[in-house]
Amino acid sequence: MTESVRSMSIHVPVLARVEGEGALDLRIDNGDIAELRLRIFEPPRFFEKFLEGHHYTEIPDMVARICGICPVAYQVTAAQALEKLFGVKLSRWARDMRRVFYCGEWIQSHSLHIHLLAAPDFFGCNSAIELARVDPEAVRRGLRIQALGNELMDLFGARSVHPVGIRVGGFHAAPSLARIKETRERLRAALPEAEAMIRWAARIQLPPDDQAFISVALRHPADYAIESGAIAASDGLLIEAESYDAHFAEQHETHSTALFSTYRQQPYLVGPLARLNLNHDLLPDGIKALLVETGFTLPSRNIFHSLLARAVEILLALQEASRLLDDYSIPDSPWVPVTPRAGVATGCTEAPRGLLWHRYEMDADGRVINARIVPPTSQNQGRIEEDLRLSLMNFGLDQPDDALRLHCEKVIRNYDPCISCATHFLRMRVERT
Amino acid sequence: MSRVCILGVGSPSGDDQAGWLTVDALLDMGIRTGDGIVIEKLDRPGSALIPLLGSTAWLILVDAMQGEGEPGQIQRFDQTDWPHHGHGLSSHGLGVVDALMLAGELGSLPPRLDLYGIEVGGTTPGSRPSRAIRAAATRLASMIADELASSFSNPPGIARG
Repeated sequence: MTESVRSMSIHVPVLARVEGEGALDLRIDNGDIAELRLRIFEPPRFFEKFLEGHHYTEIPDMVARICGICPVAYQVTAAQALEKLFGVKLSRWARDMRRVFYCGEWIQSHSLHIHLLAAPDFFGCNSAIELARVDPEAVRRGLRIQALGNELMDLFGARSVHPVGIRVGGFHAAPSLARIKETRERLRAALPEAEAMIRWAARIQLPPDDQAFISVALRHPADYAIESGAIAASDGLLIEAESYDAHFAEQHETHSTALFSTYRQQPYLVGPLARLNLNHDLLPDGIKALLVETGFTLPSRNIFHSLLARAVEILLALQEASRLLDDYSIPDSPWVPVTPRAGVATGCTEAPRGLLWHRYEMDADGRVINARIVPPTSQNQGRIEEDLRLSLMNFGLDQPDDALRLHCEKVIRNYDPCISCATHFLRMRVERT
Repeated sequence: MSRVCILGVGSPSGDDQAGWLTVDALLDMGIRTGDGIVIEKLDRPGSALIPLLGSTAWLILVDAMQGEGEPGQIQRFDQTDWPHHGHGLSSHGLGVVDALMLAGELGSLPPRLDLYGIEVGGTTPGSRPSRAIRAAATRLASMIADELASSFSNPPGIARG
């Protein structure tokens, strides 16, 4: 039998159904991948520089503007870092409500990604509009769940886009009992819907894939880590946020305006599947039973399980929000007083797309001297390229061009890359005469 | 269920406030929420627009548009036009037309839906809307008020006296 080899190039000029602007170049020479580059060319962002000189009281609202989908992650991470530096001890109420607020963001972001961005791939559809023709009830259910996530964000943040509820020391205000009661009822009513969504997601036929990769996520001794925890890796690493730089590195690549992150010189995975891989033992028993019923075995080495992982985390977030709002009462004060001090603040939380790390050097007046923010998509960028290489080899480079292109897009969408958050690097040319 | 829901979509970016300005002009004409009418401003609602569509008999939706016309030009879109104006879906970028098309597939559109676009120029964040856009918003508000008046013997929500 003669094995045919070929040379070709694929250029996907604009990646659809991902956030921000990126492109993919693939060149195959004589049946081998000669070049594969995920190019991010969205104009660079200057948020870290913007923050310099600003007072700590402004930081939560400023960093919320980095992302329209995961503003709570940025706010909570910044507040957590600064509270640690300033020696602030949050009230139990504020700690719990931060987790509820964050659950709202997971619910809306995950539901949006599952139903509007990723699922169409697995039903042979080009868009959610086409998917709505094929499976309207699944899309309706997804939109209902997403709306509930938005409602939770609005409840604590006064609005679901760029919310303004968080302050260093707690929240600006506490929602009324009447509003909490309404939301609590809707959360409970949504639990069976989320279980049905997991069963639906588990029935989706996924491409077979088996890759060795390192998962990195927060780990908390008692809870499934969302808004707090230590940084863990699947090779046994367990460190505090302060030690991040000793183990993780960021570097520029010429083809991208985002930074690439590595752990021990290797790409790594962050996000829902990495979290489940590391923390599935901390899931509530009911969810564990549901995973057994659906045959979802963890840890998983198939990145296409990311959609199902998001569905599982939606149910977890609904349960957590419902549990924490059960005994809700209005606190004497939703915040505690804060006295700034000079030093270095670091914090990390689990944004919907994965680990989010912040570092602020502060002066004695509570103003930012410099800031560094490492978002999840830049951490996943190296893993996406590695995954594309391996996935394409598994898929078969002799597949038709359109099939290869679609497969690449499917792989990238598994990571739900939020490229607007990830873009950091300015490529600058200076000419002097 | 409301008899009429009027939504002005926009953002605080120069001419992109066209939908909001139309709502302001309607309020100035005495048209208020209540008595069968809902009138609201929305800031880039994305898919959150869809749940609002099922609770009204008649939706009037005003948004900014970027076509080839002069800033201030008003256009009314039929449903058959929508597929030509969708932009595809991304996490942050579900546009009004995309949301309407998705709602259409889900059977969630109201019995009557009037979609208006106001052609815009500059949309720099934080800038003020141009004179042409302010004038167009007032013009469109008058058209909507006339249509409400001619459709109902007791037009909903119009403050009297």
